[in-house]
Amino acid sequence: MSRAGIIAWQVLISVTLAVVWEWGYDLHERVPWLVPDLLDPYFVSKPSAIYDQFLHASCLVDKRGTWNGWSSGEFSKCMARSENNLWVATLVTLKNTLAGFAVGTSSGFVLGLALGRSDRLTAIFQPFIVAANSVPRIALAPIIILAFGLGNASKIVTAWLVVVFLVFFNTFEGARSVDRDHISAARLLGASEWQITRTVIIPSTMAWLFASLTPAISFALIGVILGEFIGAQQGIGRMIIEAEARGEAAGMMVAVFVLMIVGVVLAGIVRRVQAYLLRWRPQTVGNL
Amino acid sequence: MTPSIRIETRDLGKVFAIDGRDMRAVDGVSLSIREGEFVALLGPSGCGKSTILNMIATLLSTSSGEILIDGKAIDPRRPDPKVGYVFQRDTLFPWRTVQANIGYALELSGVPAAERRERTETALAQAGLQGFGHYYPASLSGGMRQRAALMRTLIVQPQILLMDEPFGALDTHTKLEMHRVLLNIWEREKQTVLFVTHDLGEALTLSDRIILLSARPGRVKDEFIVDFPRPRDAVTLRETPAYGALFSRIWHSLGEEFVKGADT
Repeated sequence: MSRAGIIAWQVLISVTLAVVWEWGYDLHERVPWLVPDLLDPYFVSKPSAIYDQFLHASCLVDKRGTWNGWSSGEFSKCMARSENNLWVATLVTLKNTLAGFAVGTSSGFVLGLALGRSDRLTAIFQPFIVAANSVPRIALAPIIILAFGLGNASKIVTAWLVVVFLVFFNTFEGARSVDRDHISAARLLGASEWQITRTVIIPSTMAWLFASLTPAISFALIGVILGEFIGAQQGIGRMIIEAEARGEAAGMMVAVFVLMIVGVVLAGIVRRVQAYLLRWRPQTVGNL
Repeated sequence: MTPSIRIETRDLGKVFAIDGRDMRAVDGVSLSIREGEFVALLGPSGCGKSTILNMIATLLSTSSGEILIDGKAIDPRRPDPKVGYVFQRDTLFPWRTVQANIGYALELSGVPAAERRERTETALAQAGLQGFGHYYPASLSGGMRQRAALMRTLIVQPQILLMDEPFGALDTHTKLEMHRVLLNIWEREKQTVLFVTHDLGEALTLSDRIILLSARPGRVKDEFIVDFPRPRDAVTLRETPAYGALFSRIWHSLGEEFVKGADT
């Protein structure tokens, strides 16, 4: 299928979904067998209402629906009024996601490398890792909030907890499967033990680490939102909880859309970085 | 003055434990290879010829016997820097460019970047890889990769070269091309070479002497002097009557071992 054809289909599907979402429930009275109850705007809102809510939540328009210009100062006044407006919430969630991602991938890599290269450490720690990994991460979230408070730290820890195992297992596998001939080659070319670690084992294992980065960034975002659900003052997850408490479907939907955009952008960036770092591979896997 | 012995094995043996049973791979092999000599170690598959080479390279431990390089017993924990090794399969580091692969050993010993670049450029040219320095191994052909691997070993100018069927995975045409490259380098540098192969044509083309191993367990069965004049041409050499005569003599002896090897 041609590229134009694919895009045409994608546009058609998007428009259809938006139309059904916007006006579909209007037909509910007349043809109840065709329109499910779930389409009720009370639950899922409507595209137009979501758009309006977006403009309000982001301080782009005031309560009467007029645009807040930069010059009038209305925008900054609105921003100052709410400590968890859309911009602040997005920034907070983004920052915590990146922090959790960074801490999770680096510690997962170090742990995976250390255990992957040492049979003794593996033998000692294996049962602990298996046990820890079988605990659903969500079950630990309340404990983390209790221990680390409502601020950023608890969100970063939750994200770390979700990411670290994923990266650990990938790195562990990678560290175990370093090509023995590569190690022999390096040794015969005069490499010391440390040089072998630095020039063969680490780069070879990095390939496995890079492959886990795309899922890791998505996991980090899940971890942060999870933490914000349980207890937070700021963040997109907090916005969703607040909107839910007020029964505002549009407010929740705005947050969901922002999360979607954040997720797509983050994954896109990571995938680019990953493709660059793995450019030496015959073909980059997972090039979606 | 006769050239000195550079590689010597005395009554070398290797036993592998496979499924709890001892399998004797190499038995009582005594070899001596002189300075500047090109020796081919020829034998059927599974006869232990690579095992012998790997023991000399310290990649494998010995079960019995001794290995001496320049009259001194080798240290199994520390490879001798005078010895270069070329693997059967290409072991270039895929995450390094071709040039960075070739310069690897220089990097290890702390040669400054400018000198490294100069020496790797020369090596690339020698291997006919000009302009491919910034490529990653994955985008090169098998022959090019093996040439790069050869240069990675040769860049530190080892006086002794151990080669484990380095061209075994290449097609005939590429193989002959590799013979030309290797002969060129060797005529100039005259390293002491121990070259493992199961390809009689290859052994005749390259070596001064062929040591024929028996089927498992590997023992020295016979030895042949290959006294074709040098420099040799890998292609035209094969058309001379002397080549044909020696080929059939060794082929007969080798053939017996292939039959025995197939029985076990």
